[in-house]
Parts: sequence; C-alpha cells; structure tokens
Amino acid sequence: MNDLDRLRQILLEEDRRALAAAAQRLDVAESRQHGLAERLPQALEAVQSGAQRERFARAMAAPVASALGNAVRGNRHLIIDALFPIIGPTIRKAVGEAMRGLVADINQALESSFTLRGLAWRVEAWRSGVPYAEVVLKHTLAWQVDHLFLIERASGLVLHRASAPELPALDADAIAGMLTAIADFVSDSVGRDGGDTLESARVGEHVLWLIQGPRANLACFIRGVPGSALYARLQERLERIHAAIDADGASGELVASASAEALDLAALTRDAATAEPRRRTAWWPLLLVILAAVTALAWHLLRDRSWETRMDALRTHLGAHPGFVLTGLDDTRRPAVVVHGLLDPDAAPLEPLLAAMRAAGGAPQLAVQGYLSADDAIVLRRARRLLAPPDSVRLTVSGGVLGLEGVAGSDWLDTARLRAPMIAGVREVRLEVAPAATPADVARAELEQLSRQLPEIKGVFERGVAAVPASEAFVDDLAERLRGIEQRAAVAGVEVTLVAVGCNDATGADRTNAGLREGRGAWLRSALIERGVPAALIRVAGDTDPDFQDRPLERSAYIHMALSSRP
Amino acid sequence: MIRATARKICMLGDFGVGKTSLVARYVHGTFSEKYLTTVGVKVDTCEVARPDGTDCKLVVWDMAGRNGVDTLAASYLRGASGLLMVADGTRAATLRTALDLLMQARAVVPEAAAVLMLNKLDLIEHWEIEPLTVAELRNSLPVFETSALSGDGVARAFATLTAELPA
Repeated sequence: MNDLDRLRQILLEEDRRALAAAAQRLDVAESRQHGLAERLPQALEAVQSGAQRERFARAMAAPVASALGNAVRGNRHLIIDALFPIIGPTIRKAVGEAMRGLVADINQALESSFTLRGLAWRVEAWRSGVPYAEVVLKHTLAWQVDHLFLIERASGLVLHRASAPELPALDADAIAGMLTAIADFVSDSVGRDGGDTLESARVGEHVLWLIQGPRANLACFIRGVPGSALYARLQERLERIHAAIDADGASGELVASASAEALDLAALTRDAATAEPRRRTAWWPLLLVILAAVTALAWHLLRDRSWETRMDALRTHLGAHPGFVLTGLDDTRRPAVVVHGLLDPDAAPLEPLLAAMRAAGGAPQLAVQGYLSADDAIVLRRARRLLAPPDSVRLTVSGGVLGLEGVAGSDWLDTARLRAPMIAGVREVRLEVAPAATPADVARAELEQLSRQLPEIKGVFERGVAAVPASEAFVDDLAERLRGIEQRAAVAGVEVTLVAVGCNDATGADRTNAGLREGRGAWLRSALIERGVPAALIRVAGDTDPDFQDRPLERSAYIHMALSSRP
Repeated sequence: MIRATARKICMLGDFGVGKTSLVARYVHGTFSEKYLTTVGVKVDTCEVARPDGTDCKLVVWDMAGRNGVDTLAASYLRGASGLLMVADGTRAATLRTALDLLMQARAVVPEAAAVLMLNKLDLIEHWEIEPLTVAELRNSLPVFETSALSGDGVARAFATLTAELPA
C-alpha cells in the first residue's frame, strides 16, 4: 500500500464502511423480496384466521378499492368479462321483477280507470271520501288463496300446507309432487342455463304462483286476479322460512312454527290487502267524462231546440195554408219528416212550401187525404173553377155568401144561376150581374137615336128651292151620319126608310108653297144621293103624305128616318 | 329442518314391464296417465302400514319407462327415500335394465331403500329369468315376484320397502 492508498483509506474509511452497510441492507432486502411471492399467500391466510383479521381488512380496504378502480379504468373489458356471468342474471332478475310488478300495476290501473266499473269506483270514492286506491283494492281483492303449499325443493314432498276452510280435501302430496315434476320438466325443457324456473301458470280464473327458494318452494293456488303485493308478501314469507331453516341450531319445531306462521292465509290476505300502494286520486278521468257528457247533452238540447223551432215554423205555415188541415207531424225518424193532413183539391199545392222548409233530411214528405174545405178562399177558388166567369163578372165569397157582380151574357148568366147555389161551401148566392147588350140591340139603339137626331139637322132656304150655299154643310153632316146605314140596319134587323121633307113659311100661295116643299125635299134627296146615300133608301115626302101634314112653318128641308121590322 | 310426513318413492324400470299397472292396482290415483308420455312421470300416493302399526304415506313417482337415468330423470329422483325397481319376468333383458337403473339411481340417491319387483307372475311359464338368478339377487336386495293382473306380491313389496325406508 503506497502513501496515496493509505491516505485514501484514512480519508474515506468512514464512507467505505457506510457504503458496505448499505450494500448489506440492500442484499437483505433483495433476499426478502425474492421470497415474497411464496410467503405472501401463507401470510394472508395467517392474517385471515388470526386476531388481526379485522385490522388487516380495514388496512386493505383503501388500497384494494384503489386497485379495483384502476383495474376498471385500465382493463374495463377484462372486468366486464369476469363479471358477466353474475351481472347478467342479476340485472335480468331485478329488472324482470320490477317490470312485472309495474306492468301488473299499470294493467290494473288502466283496466279500472277507463271502464264503467272504474268510473263507478271513482264515484264511490268521491262520495265516501275514501281514497280511490282503497276502493279499487276493496273491489279488486276478489281473489282468494285456495291452497298454499310449502314444498321441499329436492323431493317435491309437502312440508307444510294451508287451505281455505270451505274447500274440499285434496291429495296435497300428489299435487305437490306432480307440480314439482312439471316445474322440473319445464325448467329442463325451456329454461336457459338451468336458471329459469316455472313461476306462474293460469287456468281460467285460477292462478298458480310457484315461488322458488334454495331449500323449499312455495306453491300458491289463487282464485281471482291477485295484485303484485300478494306476490311480494309470499316472497317475504318464503324468505322468513328460509331464515328459520338456515338459522344456527334451528329445531324442527322452530321451523314448523315459522312455516305455520308464514302460511297463515288470513294474515297473508290481510297483509296483501293493506300493502297496496296508496295512489292519489286522479279526478281528470271523471271530469273528462262529465265534461263530455255535459257537452253531449248541451249539443243534444241545442239540436233538439233547433229542431222544435223548425217544426213549429212548419206547423205554423201549414196551419195558415188555406184548404189544408194538419193532423200530425211525424219526426220520429229525424231528420226525415212526414206531414199528415187533409188537403182540398182546390187548395194551392203544398210542395213549394215544403221545399222552402227543407233541411238536412230533405223536404218533408206528404201523406194527405182529400176533403172539401168551407174556407172562403177555397170556396172562391172552387166557384171560379166551376162557374168560369167572364172577365166582366167579379166573384166574392164572404161567410159562405157567394157574390156575383158585373155584366155577362145571358147564356152564362143562366148557367151561373143554376150552378152557383150547388157549389160546396156556398150557403147563399147574391147575383148582381146585368145581362150584356147584343150587336143587334146596339145597332137598333143607334138607329133609334139617329132617327131622333136627323129632324134637327135642317138646311135653311131662301126664297125658291135652291139652298143657301152656306147651308149646304148640313147635307154633308147628314151624309156622314147616314154612311153605312144599310149595314147597321141589317145588324139591327130592321128596315130603314129615309124621307126627305121640304118645308115653307106661312107666306105665299098654297100651290106655290106645295111646289116649294116638294122641290126642297127633292133637292135634299139629290144632294144626299150625290154624297153616297143609296137612292133606294130615300124618297121625298109627298104633299099628301099623312105622316108629314104638320110640317114646321119655315123655309127648310130635313130627313125623317122610319124604322120597321123586317119581314 | 322440518320434515315431511310423507315419503317419496320412485318406480323405475324398462318399457312395458308393468310399472303403471302395479301402481294402478295399489295406489290412490289422482292424475291421468297422459303425464307419463308428456312430463315423463305420474305422481300418486298410497297409505302403507309400518311394522310398528303406524301408517306411512308414500308418494309414488311412476316414471316413464327408460333405459338410463338422464338429466330429467335425475331431477325426478332427487329426494327419493325408496326405489321400486320393476322388471318383466318374461324378458330377461328388463332385469338387466332394472339393475342398471338401480346403479345409476344410487348415484343420485345413495341412501334410498330399494326393492325389486319381478312382474308378470301370472305368466310364470314364459319367464326367461332363471330361479337361480332370482336367488342370487335376493342376497343383494329384497326381490318379489308380483302380478299386476292378480295383485300377488304387490302389497308385500310395498310393505317391505316402507319398512326399510330410512328414518
């Protein structure tokens, strides 16, 4: 060892020893770590059975939870795969139970809410003040547990049983055995992975529930429709029985006592009945129904009122229709209407009136019979139809009195005089019709009037026979009045004779005057012939003609017209 | 654990050995035989007197004829206290089937008592099973020659099985 080494030893000796001690501790730790895998299981087992078990569990809780959390975050699929066989059936079973109960409750609520029976229950709850749920429960508890068997799961033998007292005896052992066999058969046939079991069956009004337990099953034969609460209570009872069976040091008597208590049918029914969840009474269905009923009633009343108004109007119009007697309105087959009544043949037709009253069902139909009306308007129409009066005759009817006024021909007048009293509805005839003039009468009257007028139309003469020129105008007037005299005479059926009469004043000699009279008459005849008067009709009055001896004393001439009957 | 007062008995044997006829003669029938062809078993009950004078109720599971104990039959066997093995004396093969079924059933219910019924005693002249074989069988388990037709031996077989049921 040289000096340098010696110096290094002196300076670093302490550090070298510390380094050697550390290396030794490291070797010891490595050797302990090397055997840890073999020692750890043994150590853990020792802790589990020792007094430090609880302390160890508390100490491991936090790191195990953290490790599990890290494992879930880092190896999610691995954890899921590992838990899948457990989680799947557990979730399915929980969800299935919850859904089964929910569906049963919903079904029951729906069935009871939207039926007449449900509405009746709501009315009963409203009247009595009892919650609707209790009323429903009271009525829906129309179920009865007929039999309850506690069956040993392995052998199918009956461990305990309870039956409703009024039911006939049955071979419970055989039934329980057969039920167990069928349940096994169903489970082996259709159950998946051996985990699914027969839980219920329904035959008619009977329901069978088979509630499975690890050691024993509960078979419940129910008549009616039980609620989900009963199922829950049965499960609780089966769990109590299993708790008694599994209890440390349980005796047969204890288990039998627990079974008898659990299978007490009266207590079971009471518990299930009171365990139904109380639901708040919902009034909207009832209010909805009442609103619908009120609306329907109001609509019906409005429609009925509108219909009655229409019928009244129809009745009023028909009642005011002359010649129609309304005997009835048949509206039993609304909106079709049939009008029954009596109708006079002379009444105005009803169709326009009915067409105006048509509605959704069409115009009212007519079912009428004929009759004779004494109504004045109808009697007037009847009289007009039967008498057919000319326009110059006016007919009136008032109080059964037929009045006839005006002018009519004698033929019609004769007929009317015979027929009028025989018209139905006429009790008296007041005839004030003047007979109408014939053309012959008119023509005769005109000729007679002309014969009176002609002597007044005179011509004034000066001395001599020639007329004064200014006086010749009367000749034109005479000729005009005598125009067509032959035709008028023919119509009148008479013979006409015109005589031209000449006159003179008092002065002069008789012979001279006679000549003047004849000359003046002849002058007038000639003047008229010149103006178209037929010569055969006119002659000059002779001085000896007895009809003209008393002639006026004046210097004139005039025409005298004589009428005589035709031969 | 509360115990049932009745005891479960399973009747096993090959097809056509007369199990159902034996049951029909002896037990109180509740269910139709159609269950044998549908579910594979028919359960009936009967009361049998014990040697001590008390009555014991037997719940007899008449299982449809089969050659082996399958899964379903195993589930039917669970909880059985006694086994009624049935063979047809006129068919020696049915005895082998009965003994084979007995061995398989023992695997499921090792504690169960068992008796062997050699049926169709009324056709004894046609039996294929030798008397020597029967004598050897008696060394292993109770053997009864029975006739479902006449009822011979049936009651004794049930009584013996009842007496040997485990407590």
